[in-house]
Amino acid sequence: MTDYSVPGESVITGLTGHRFPGGSYTVEHWENALLTECTGAELLPNDMVHPVALFHMPIFGAGTSIAEMFALGQAESDLSIMIESYDWEIFIPLKEEICYSISGEISSAERRNSAQLNVHDRIQFRFEIHNPEKIIAARSTITWLYTRNTL
Amino acid sequence: MTPAVGDQIPEWVMEHVSAQRMRTMAALLRDPNPLHWDRDAVAALPLELGQRTINQGPLGLSYMVNMLHAWAGPSCIRRIVMRFPQVVLDAEYVVARGEVMALREGPEEQLAECRIWLEHSERGVLLEGSAVVAVPNLA
Repeated sequence: MTDYSVPGESVITGLTGHRFPGGSYTVEHWENALLTECTGAELLPNDMVHPVALFHMPIFGAGTSIAEMFALGQAESDLSIMIESYDWEIFIPLKEEICYSISGEISSAERRNSAQLNVHDRIQFRFEIHNPEKIIAARSTITWLYTRNTL
Repeated sequence: MTPAVGDQIPEWVMEHVSAQRMRTMAALLRDPNPLHWDRDAVAALPLELGQRTINQGPLGLSYMVNMLHAWAGPSCIRRIVMRFPQVVLDAEYVVARGEVMALREGPEEQLAECRIWLEHSERGVLLEGSAVVAVPNLA
């Protein structure tokens, strides 16, 4: 096992409030078709986007990436991230070929210590998706645990 | 459908978690994590998972979504919260299950609060969480 330098606690807690650039995202039909097929389901009616898009759509639309989110928390490797939870709220079903505005931020970042994971960092990302009428359509909250010196 | 507290949601089965679908998903998500497409990377972990790839969290969650859609319709989900106590591996047979825990009136619809989970016959509960689902009004 490689020894990594654990970032200072203030570096992690200082991430709270970090805002991503924001932007927009349109789920095209081909993308929805492939995503839906991956879930084992048939395409939804009326051009509805499968909710599984609520993971990557807000990330990309907010102007970030999974890789950048790993890097912000100074993940030791791609393998060191554990999922605490995904929380998806849907106010209006998402549709294909609609351009949604997306904002995102780090809503909390804290150092924790547990018997199972030892010292680790819990970072929560919150993204909001608004439709062209500026009405909120969905919210995605991603909570990841950045383990340290475990793998 | 007239749901009641204690009702079991009809199960939704993924008969074979597909490594190929994980690869497609990794590309769509631009997810660099090799655990989703490189069996050697998984085998090298001190977790004794063998030569298997690990399903993306959102894919496991999507099985719960599919169960809820099949039960209450394709626009029924208002909220879904999922935790991931165990990984889902390629080639596994997993079953999405759920139970109605409470019913309440929302502003415009009746809502069912559900406990949901993804089950493996030998390894037990792999994912667990909750969902709020719009259901037909009982009145």
